[in-house]
Amino acid sequence: MNLELRKIEIKDVVFGEVPGVKDGVLTVCKQDIIDELMEDVNVKSIKVDIAKPGEKTRIIPVKDVIQPRIKVEGKGNGFPGVTSEMVQLGSGKVNVLDGVAVVTIGDIVGFQEGVIDMWGEGAKWTPFSKTLNIVVDIEPVEGLDPHTHEATVRVAGLKAAEFIGKAGKEAEAGVVDKYEMDDIFTETSKYPDLPKVAYVEMLISQGLLHDGYIYGVNSGKILPTLIHPNEELDGAVISGNCVAACDKITTYQHQNNSAILDLYNRHGKDINFVGVILTPELTTLEGKFRTCDYTAKLCRTLGVDGVVVSEEGYGNPDSDLLMICKRLEDSGIKTVLITDECSGWDGMSQPLADTTPEAVAVISTGNVSHVVELEPADRVIGSAEAIATLAGGWEGCLKEDGSMVCELNAVIGATSEIGYHNLTVELY
Amino acid sequence: MEHAFVVVTNNPLVGKDLGEMKFVEGSYEDVLIKVRDLVYEGHQLISHPLGASMRMLFSPYRSVLVGAERSETSEVYALTIESSMDTFRRSTANRNVDHVNADDYARIDLELLKEAIKEHGIIQREKIQEVQ
Repeated sequence: MNLELRKIEIKDVVFGEVPGVKDGVLTVCKQDIIDELMEDVNVKSIKVDIAKPGEKTRIIPVKDVIQPRIKVEGKGNGFPGVTSEMVQLGSGKVNVLDGVAVVTIGDIVGFQEGVIDMWGEGAKWTPFSKTLNIVVDIEPVEGLDPHTHEATVRVAGLKAAEFIGKAGKEAEAGVVDKYEMDDIFTETSKYPDLPKVAYVEMLISQGLLHDGYIYGVNSGKILPTLIHPNEELDGAVISGNCVAACDKITTYQHQNNSAILDLYNRHGKDINFVGVILTPELTTLEGKFRTCDYTAKLCRTLGVDGVVVSEEGYGNPDSDLLMICKRLEDSGIKTVLITDECSGWDGMSQPLADTTPEAVAVISTGNVSHVVELEPADRVIGSAEAIATLAGGWEGCLKEDGSMVCELNAVIGATSEIGYHNLTVELY
Repeated sequence: MEHAFVVVTNNPLVGKDLGEMKFVEGSYEDVLIKVRDLVYEGHQLISHPLGASMRMLFSPYRSVLVGAERSETSEVYALTIESSMDTFRRSTANRNVDHVNADDYARIDLELLKEAIKEHGIIQREKIQEVQ
């Protein structure tokens, strides 16, 4: 497969009548976006706002973040299987509105948090404080069942990103990133002496507000599956999560999966990157045993020497992470885990909900319990009720001056377990 | 494989139409304690006692599936429930239970429970749809 991500550097976003890009300024037509999304009979109203880095603006509760793009050569614009007809992704040329994100908001349940602060202390912790955010607030019609409500908001966000992406069709790209990888046998014949490495990406797959989608298929309904890394970079994997703000993998993060990009960067240099295995994190223990066995079997079938595994979420998925690790290490496959930790306010508690002695190479992407102080915003895009939830964590977390103290788990992408975030690791 | 199950729950929205139920008058932690006792009595632990995110740990409600029949106590299940209780206590030590959004937690817990039951493959889709 051969994929080109052609990055159009966007320095500013403005509302206007005629969508397009000129001198690094993206113009979007608010009414056109609203009209496009209102075509869904389940949508009652749409509001569109812009939030820029440095503004004293808070966005809450965030459902998903999506990168607007358009495919200018080859098949598969948008999100095949969801917003467009089904085609194979992973090849062609894609114009990316680099520096812009579509952020969807809308509370499906009252306890959603998911905050993006565009300034101050909060901005330090989320990668989406640095993007020019086109915020789409989606209100569905009354009376929808919760599954339809969630799907309406999820699909509206994807449609918005696809629609806004059209503005980049004629724009001149700056950096062009090329991702080319042949079948495993061909690549291995090119690099016979390099260790073969696979990437296992775990996806929360547990039901309402806890789902991932692959070409529109709910990941809870599949056995672990092998995909080409280009497919994910081209939009095959979509987020359906709403409640794990700090460590859910947003669609934007799937489109720019840091683990895939880093492995790609080393492909042919010191490793032979053989592909991505998407693994559902199920609810039942029998389901977990099955998917973890199957994941290890796929890795053995590929004959890999090493595997990088990233988790999504915290709690019961920790069991899957460590079961996969144990099965791989027992098979003689060196395994590196990427996870965040819940190690208390002081960072001193046991970090995961489960343990195994085989987990000897673990990368932490941050402590979800780390406490941060967020000062009051001048402008809130979204819901005041969600802020009340955010401010209700414990006695005394809402201060007299209106600032509040919360744990990182409320901040979108703060401890991304695929490494698409602002933190780094310090070795002692 | 044993398919019969019991729902251990403190969620008022969970009805008996989903299957046999042990209703716990108490908190999320009380549900975990009940599950632990059943596991030590030899019941299978069918669904994981914890959710998949920090936020769900602040829920007032939790439903867990255990097997209906008893056999030897399983070390795997015992370790899973014990480590889950430890994780729950550590993760919620400084936090308030989110009672303000209790109704929404109850709804989501019910939906996730239905998914767990479907995943376990016991009752047919038609029966799930009847109770929606």
